[in-house]
Amino acid sequence: MGCVASLAYAATPEKVLHLELSAAETGFDPVATSDLNTAAIEQQLFEALLTYDYLARPVRLIPRLAATMPVVTDQGKTWVFTLKKGAYFCPDPVFKGQLREATAQDVVYTIMRFMDPKNRSPYKFLVDGKIIGLDELGDEARKSGRFNYDASIAGLEVLDRYTLKIRLKTTDYNFSHAMAQPMYGVVAREVIEAYAGDTASHPVGTGPYRLGRWIRSSLIELEKNPNFRHELWDFGATHSGSDPALGSDPKIANSEDARVIAQMKGKTIPQIDRIDIQVIEESQSAWLSFGKGELDMIGLAGQFSPMALTGDRLKPALVQRGIRLDRLIDPSIAYYFINQQDPVLGGMSRERIALRRAIFMAQNDEEMIRVIYKGQAFRNAYPIPDGVEGSDPNYRSVLNYNPREANHLLDQMGYAKGPDGYRRLPDGKPLSVRYTTSLSSQDRELDEMMKKSLDRLSIHFESEKLKFPEIIKAERQCRVQMRLSGWIADYPDGDNFMQLWYGPHIHENNGSCYQDPVWDRLYEKTLTMPASLQRDKIYRQLARLLELNGVTKVSTSHIRNVLSQPWLLGYKAHPILPSVWSYLDIDDTQRPKP
Amino acid sequence: MIAYLMRRIWQMIPTLLGVVLLVFFLFNWVGGDPAYVLAGKMASPEDIANIRHQLGIDRPLWEQLWIFIRQIVSGDFGDSWSTHEPVSQIFRTRLGPSMTLLIPLMILETAVAVLIALLVSAFRGSLLDRSLMVASTMVMSISLLVYIIVGQYVFASVLGWFPVKGWSQQLSQNLTTYAVLPVLLGLLVSVAPSLRLYRTFILDEVGQDYVRTARAKGVSEMRILWVHVLRNAGIPIVTNLLMGLPALLTGAFLLERFFAIPGIGREIILAVERSDFPIIKAATVYVAMATLVANLLGDMLYRVLDPRVNLD
Amino acid sequence: MTTTMRSPGLWTLAWRRLCRDRVGIVSLWVVAFYFGVVLMALGGWLAPDWTREVGVNYAPPTWWMGAQESEDAPAAPTTAQANVVADLYGLQDPLASEFAVMQAAYPNEVGLPPEPPRMQTLPLGGDKWGHDVLTKLIKGSQTSLLVGFVAALVATALGTLFGAVAGYFGRWVDDAFNWLYGVFTAIPYLLLVFAIAAVLQQRGVVTIILILGLTGWTGVFRLVRAEYLKHKSREYVLAAGAIGASNMRRMFVHILPNVSHVILVQLSLNVVGFIKSEVILSFLGFGVPVDVVSWGSMLNEAQNELILGKWWQLAAAGLAMAVLVTAFSMLTDALRDALDPKLKQ
Repeated sequence: MGCVASLAYAATPEKVLHLELSAAETGFDPVATSDLNTAAIEQQLFEALLTYDYLARPVRLIPRLAATMPVVTDQGKTWVFTLKKGAYFCPDPVFKGQLREATAQDVVYTIMRFMDPKNRSPYKFLVDGKIIGLDELGDEARKSGRFNYDASIAGLEVLDRYTLKIRLKTTDYNFSHAMAQPMYGVVAREVIEAYAGDTASHPVGTGPYRLGRWIRSSLIELEKNPNFRHELWDFGATHSGSDPALGSDPKIANSEDARVIAQMKGKTIPQIDRIDIQVIEESQSAWLSFGKGELDMIGLAGQFSPMALTGDRLKPALVQRGIRLDRLIDPSIAYYFINQQDPVLGGMSRERIALRRAIFMAQNDEEMIRVIYKGQAFRNAYPIPDGVEGSDPNYRSVLNYNPREANHLLDQMGYAKGPDGYRRLPDGKPLSVRYTTSLSSQDRELDEMMKKSLDRLSIHFESEKLKFPEIIKAERQCRVQMRLSGWIADYPDGDNFMQLWYGPHIHENNGSCYQDPVWDRLYEKTLTMPASLQRDKIYRQLARLLELNGVTKVSTSHIRNVLSQPWLLGYKAHPILPSVWSYLDIDDTQRPKP
Repeated sequence: MIAYLMRRIWQMIPTLLGVVLLVFFLFNWVGGDPAYVLAGKMASPEDIANIRHQLGIDRPLWEQLWIFIRQIVSGDFGDSWSTHEPVSQIFRTRLGPSMTLLIPLMILETAVAVLIALLVSAFRGSLLDRSLMVASTMVMSISLLVYIIVGQYVFASVLGWFPVKGWSQQLSQNLTTYAVLPVLLGLLVSVAPSLRLYRTFILDEVGQDYVRTARAKGVSEMRILWVHVLRNAGIPIVTNLLMGLPALLTGAFLLERFFAIPGIGREIILAVERSDFPIIKAATVYVAMATLVANLLGDMLYRVLDPRVNLD
Repeated sequence: MTTTMRSPGLWTLAWRRLCRDRVGIVSLWVVAFYFGVVLMALGGWLAPDWTREVGVNYAPPTWWMGAQESEDAPAAPTTAQANVVADLYGLQDPLASEFAVMQAAYPNEVGLPPEPPRMQTLPLGGDKWGHDVLTKLIKGSQTSLLVGFVAALVATALGTLFGAVAGYFGRWVDDAFNWLYGVFTAIPYLLLVFAIAAVLQQRGVVTIILILGLTGWTGVFRLVRAEYLKHKSREYVLAAGAIGASNMRRMFVHILPNVSHVILVQLSLNVVGFIKSEVILSFLGFGVPVDVVSWGSMLNEAQNELILGKWWQLAAAGLAMAVLVTAFSMLTDALRDALDPKLKQ
């Protein structure tokens, strides 16, 4: 099959896709991946069992390396996956010229790698504590220093060459999402062992592309995997409902889908021969490059949107050039949180709750959207963003911008102003709010914003500037007083967001260090529930409690704008998939000749 | 000579040791703990402890220092914490682009600066001299950041004379296409300081007795400048060049970032942002060594070329 | 004694020479103008409050023709929403009684207090918040000059002290300082900045001054040390020693005035260098805090504004800085020529 494909493509001129990454990649061993840029590339190199449908909205899981969707029994505790036949790894010297097919045993090995302490995987949490017998293997390895990959455990059972049964400790309907992450792309044990210590530079997967030329932190070239199985582009439009924030109606969305389908239907995957990805850190450089046609597609950072957009429309000059705009709501939230364990701002007394709520009420989200995000975001007060299971477009916040009310509240609670005009604590001690941001120039804007907000309340503003790793460390140690944080969906289920405030997740990712038995009991109830109206009802209570107790204020969700050149075919932005390059094509006749 | 060389090399050791200690303690004290960010979005305290153990940052300081010193001796700084790439390979691959940018920059800078310096010293005190010096001062007064932002916008985007950014694996293409604009922009800020320095070197020589003698003998003014003066002024110029090279290696980070050139300066900023200690350590040691060696070479050259200098 | 008698003469002569240097005098006037502006700003007569948002976002300069072409949608006024009517989903609001009291006390208050009207255009344009760029420029000059000067003073004082001690005492003292000099010059400057910045944390303008001061002393040290080496065996110093002057006295009362011209020129060079370095520090994220404005912070803010077509902040800050730096550099040249006529050919 690989032979036929390569003959066919030798006849036509090479199609090359030019892309950019805004930050350097971190190496291509899926188990060690932590950032979205790297995940985008790995999505093309490796294949997980499942993936998300390219066109369906809301997003829907479909099989990738698996032949069908898994058979789930035992109330979401037993999962049986059957693999596709004829999924071959890309050629590598380790295989000594033999074709190497991906099997159920490879999946077991791939999952086991996440628990190996040596791999210190950032995405271990998706299987950690879930699969019967796997945690014990990890504990053993921590003691002995060696992970026993030959062990057979009850949770990962190979039924035959292509069939795998996974047994979970408890009900978990989200497990299928874990198996759709690019980090869980299947690897071959002999490859990993042959390149031990340098697996990051030898990605060998079953994906449509393989790694070609690679200049670290600068240029990544992907070329067709000659062993990739024969697969046809076959997605149907299943758009339901509309995106209220984008103001687009289903008809337009469907006609967009129709265009994509007309351009791509029935073509073999992948169409593009080579993908040339450059790392460009400065946004000015990336934007100017796209303008000259050196890049085929670019994610438009919010601050640059006025160059290309007027409101939510592409500027006429760009429309004339045939450039297309794809907009979608990022499955992400930006949320302020205040450390509940902080000696000054924390605690559950009424004075403290009032202080925190007043601070949240002084945040002018609309100005933030207008001045900093240049209109490319919208007010979203619910912890679960649009497009993620469990979101609620009708939710109304009790922490909206209202400085007058906030000031009244502080007055009433005894936060009187001192002789310098700034408020003091009810006991007369000085009061200031320390806001933690990184050193980047974007974060400087956030500082300016917060300074204005606190000035409205006559509260002293204090800035803490830290490098990003230090922010994360301080947050995990409950040392951050207040921060604007962000969370983007790993998978499109509300639980991925709600867990951010779960008491046992303090020191993990509960940056607000919020521990409330009432909240925790409610949250635990949702864990074993499938997505349902009952679960949504509890989610609403959880969200409201976060506001009433002054823990968090969910501020905005962002709009993702992707611009593409007229010669790029079949593109539609996807909220969850980190990259969709194998589903695209290029019409080279439209590309300007150099 | 040999004794002098040996002594100088021997003297490098305490300096290098000082560099190592300073960097080690500064970065260990405040340089941060990347374990939390490496552990990912949902890591438990055990995961973090595991990562700290894997990286070796849970060991006592003196032990880490000892490992650092062993790494310097063996030249193997291990792998980058964030990309798992061997540190030696990072520097091997980033050195080329940095050099491709810097060597043309230095050659052009020297050529332009020496030419203008000779020109103005021939007409010293004249209107030409004064206005050129004023102009060069003005040119170097504008921030490199401004030059880059405006230059990239105007010359690469609006006028389209150069590519906006990029890098290839072919040296020739880099030199003729990608490096041109960054080099020219770099030249704007770097020529003037050299020009001012070289002008004083040349004027120093012009005042010497041998010039008066030559002039008295009727040697032409051009020949005096180009042959006699330049030969002698060349010594401080060359040593100045040599000693400036290591600092340039890390100094071009602005150009590297804006033009997406995979050089060393950009790598160091990335490493600091990621708290990637192996890269920081290696960068410090390599650059410090390069600086010391360049200084030594500069002194040696001075001694070889100018018999008047006595280094002992 | 004769030497100290001679030094005022040196300065007077230098001043006379400077007065004859036309470029030098013009530069002096330009620098003096900047200082005047900064003093006025310090005194509160000029640019008292740059944080006031007087214009619309990105208000263009008044005199600029392209201003009308702006096609950006006008900003919608911010609305305030009441925070009491939302559904509580069966939960209790811990602040329910407070909100009830507040509603009773201020029943008719809806919306926000009215904002003062904003200007459509400003003399040099506005930034993204609507701050006046001219006001920012004046305040920014104050910060940048302050940073440049104080940092140069720190660096020069350190360099002079170290250089004097090393050059005067020689031997192991000299070795020790040379070692320190070697260490500081061997570490890549970029990493030194990062390391010192990390040690100092972010404490505002003082941090920047210290970063620049602590990394910038090496040049002064080298020159001052060489001067002291030369001077310590001169007759006047030996004579001072013979009549019982202490080492301190000899170093700082006798020798220092004789090397002060070298120090002055170095100080002046450092001021120029540090004003430029502040821009780069801002780029790296070690700039001034948000309640302070400097040329560096303006240039960094303006970094992304040029391609948006909002060029005025970049132009204003870039130009203001270029003029001062040019004038200051030329003044330094003139100063050097005036102080050390031997150098002038």
